[in-house]
Amino acid sequence: MSKKHHKPLISVENFSFGYDSDKEELLKDLTFSIHEQETLLCIGPSGSGKSSLSLCLNNLYPEAVEGKVNGQILYNGKPLSHFKKGEINQEIGVVFQDPESQFCMVTVENELAFTLENIKTPREEMSRRIDDILKAVGLIEEKHRPIHELSGGNKQKVALASVLLLEPRLLILDEPTANLDPASRFEFIELIRSLKKEREFALFIIEHQLDDWLPLVNRVIAIDSCGKLLLEGIPEDVFYNEAKKVKEEGIHIPRIVEALDTYEGKLLESNRPLSEKSLVSWMHSIGQEMLPLRKELHSSYQLDDKVSEVLSLSNVSFSRGKKSILQNINLSLSSGEIIAIVGKNGAGKSTLLQLMSGILKTNTGSRLLLNKKYEVWSENEMRNELGYVFQNPEHQFITDTVYDEVAFSMKLNQVNQEAIDQNVSQLLNRFHLTTHKWSNPFALSGGQKRRLSVATMLEGTPSVLLFDEPTFGQDAKTTEELMQIIQTLQKQGTAIVFVTHDMDLVDKYCHRVCVVSEGELKFNGEPQELWEKLDLIYEANLRLPFRIRINRALESLCNNQGEQGDDQAHAYIH
Amino acid sequence: MLTSINPTMKAFAVLIPALLLAFSFDPLTPFIYLVFTIAITFLFGKISFKRWLLVFSPFLLLAVSFAWMTMLHPSDTFSGGEVIFSLWSLEVTSDSFWTGISLGLRSLSFAALSLLFILTTDSTKFMLSLMQQCKLPPKLTFGILAGYRFLPTFRYELQVLKQAHRIRGVGRARGVKERLHQFRRYAIPLLANAIRKAERVALAMESKGFTGESDRTHYHEMSINKRDWVFVSVFFGMFLVSIFISYQLGILNIFGIEFEKY
Repeated sequence: MSKKHHKPLISVENFSFGYDSDKEELLKDLTFSIHEQETLLCIGPSGSGKSSLSLCLNNLYPEAVEGKVNGQILYNGKPLSHFKKGEINQEIGVVFQDPESQFCMVTVENELAFTLENIKTPREEMSRRIDDILKAVGLIEEKHRPIHELSGGNKQKVALASVLLLEPRLLILDEPTANLDPASRFEFIELIRSLKKEREFALFIIEHQLDDWLPLVNRVIAIDSCGKLLLEGIPEDVFYNEAKKVKEEGIHIPRIVEALDTYEGKLLESNRPLSEKSLVSWMHSIGQEMLPLRKELHSSYQLDDKVSEVLSLSNVSFSRGKKSILQNINLSLSSGEIIAIVGKNGAGKSTLLQLMSGILKTNTGSRLLLNKKYEVWSENEMRNELGYVFQNPEHQFITDTVYDEVAFSMKLNQVNQEAIDQNVSQLLNRFHLTTHKWSNPFALSGGQKRRLSVATMLEGTPSVLLFDEPTFGQDAKTTEELMQIIQTLQKQGTAIVFVTHDMDLVDKYCHRVCVVSEGELKFNGEPQELWEKLDLIYEANLRLPFRIRINRALESLCNNQGEQGDDQAHAYIH
Repeated sequence: MLTSINPTMKAFAVLIPALLLAFSFDPLTPFIYLVFTIAITFLFGKISFKRWLLVFSPFLLLAVSFAWMTMLHPSDTFSGGEVIFSLWSLEVTSDSFWTGISLGLRSLSFAALSLLFILTTDSTKFMLSLMQQCKLPPKLTFGILAGYRFLPTFRYELQVLKQAHRIRGVGRARGVKERLHQFRRYAIPLLANAIRKAERVALAMESKGFTGESDRTHYHEMSINKRDWVFVSVFFGMFLVSIFISYQLGILNIFGIEFEKY
């Protein structure tokens, strides 16, 4: 798969970029190249400037932000600044992270036509080209539909289709799957893989969740938190030989590499698996039968006799207008329990969380918090027992400083000033925010915002804490920090519920998992049981977690020696 | 059929008579035009009567109150004529009565004309037509279209924000000063997000080769046919007809000046 013989398509030479000439540069002295048909993976902690880099690569920056640039980027040997406006965008296409904000037209057809009009395609050709590209991405049925009615996965496919109409030589993917459910995510990656084979474009991928992309990747570049080039090389070198450096920067390393940590001594220089298939064959060859579950669970929940029911929903239904969203939900929550809610994009997971939090009213059914009906609780008292952390932390900020943010609800509860000060300093200390005490919450980094939004919920020790996709779009370090906070709370007896698309998180941290599909609670039990129900996993657009995928594949390899077994092993991975 | 009229021409056909109607102070001219507009709406547009009535009824209420106010408080020009009836100390004269009726009918004509346009026009096609026929710059056209997509998102975001603040206990704090604070609390994150989204969309548009130049091809070629001219002529012609009828009946009144026949 070596693509070294191709000439560089893009060469970045001593490139620096900053938004403001007075401030420190965001990207510093980067030098690397992208060759024809090559796939380059770009990794780095949140806020390291990866997205800005991708926008520099197709010449949208620095102009759009009047940024400051040093060094240059060449496309086929010609500096980007020498291209006419719009010219380079036909050679380099981008699919962005947020499916909601990359379209300007209402229907799929018109959005695709917009691209064709931009590049002055003759009108007679447009219909044919629109149909062709929709067939290629499998959306021909949706041609006349409004984009906002499509699922997240299909929205991203529309974005991809409209970019491919440009027939770009380089395709930049800026975390295109971050918003998607596990099955849609996998489908999108497969689509890219087959399109790349057909159309032979080069790929520049920015991602936090690396595993599924790895089979495509030829080379990796890592950018550190200061915006400097940390590493560059083939994936095996970066993730095996330099794993320590990568981890120290707070970057996710592939699960495959993580899983092999324990076998360090046995790994050979020549055999450093990076696909699940090769991992399985390697483990099989050394006689390993399964990956151990490194469950971050705490027996306190199962054995503790003080466990009591803290929240319960019985026969709860909810509808918006005439459209029924959730029906007959029965769910109970015990203290010190961690529960995940999983399901398709738009299945009603967030709505369920909002019903539990009491900000939505049910149509039928009853809800109890600490054995007292929701309706009986005063808003004030309820909020002390029941916290909710929104997906976007910014939504919850209501004051001008980090200190006020944390002190806000204590002031409302008329705690005396001395106690407030003491409590706030403790919380800020615990969440590593003391140095930002007087900063504006909006000026914090992504991870800091997330920590602050949790801290604001912890004036006392709430009985229940609800999280809406807490690890969404976070780098390894932030995810790790957050899960630690969640575990600490759980040990203190708080019941935790979170919505997530990350099945590995479910496998590793949760006592129970609830599957929401078609407005119903289709499953409510231990993760281990869910992994047996392949039909439900398929129905709810879920996927087996990494550990289970590997173990199933290993199992079938052991049971059926030879080629047949190999095929089956492959089937489990998909 | 109304949906297939070129949107720019349709806007033209609706807007000009509406403006001219503003100067006819007699009741008959706007009445004839109102009947004509409603007839066209249901004869040539596939609009359910129920839906139309639902949108139209608030205007009806508004028109009645306009008319009522004018009757009770006429300006000196329109206070002549005999007293028809009196309410407490207020006397409604025949002049003021008819002026009031006229104003009500004019407002209804506006409403009916606007509805005819709004209910039969696709907003995307209208913008595209403005770009192609009126040379509206593409930057503005596609900017407005992109903004239009955001309206529902905006409402959703405000709702989430309200919920999030309720969780924080903002609802618990009361008082005028708090209310003012509240507004600022919503405004900052909403604006911050709006700006961020707008930036993202602009970048996405540019990354698809959009430059803002008017030199581009068109997937939906918006053209002006004979039929569009006929449509505009009918609307203009009908205005003249209604003026003529009023004149013939001797009640035409333009901007307060009465046109007696001979």
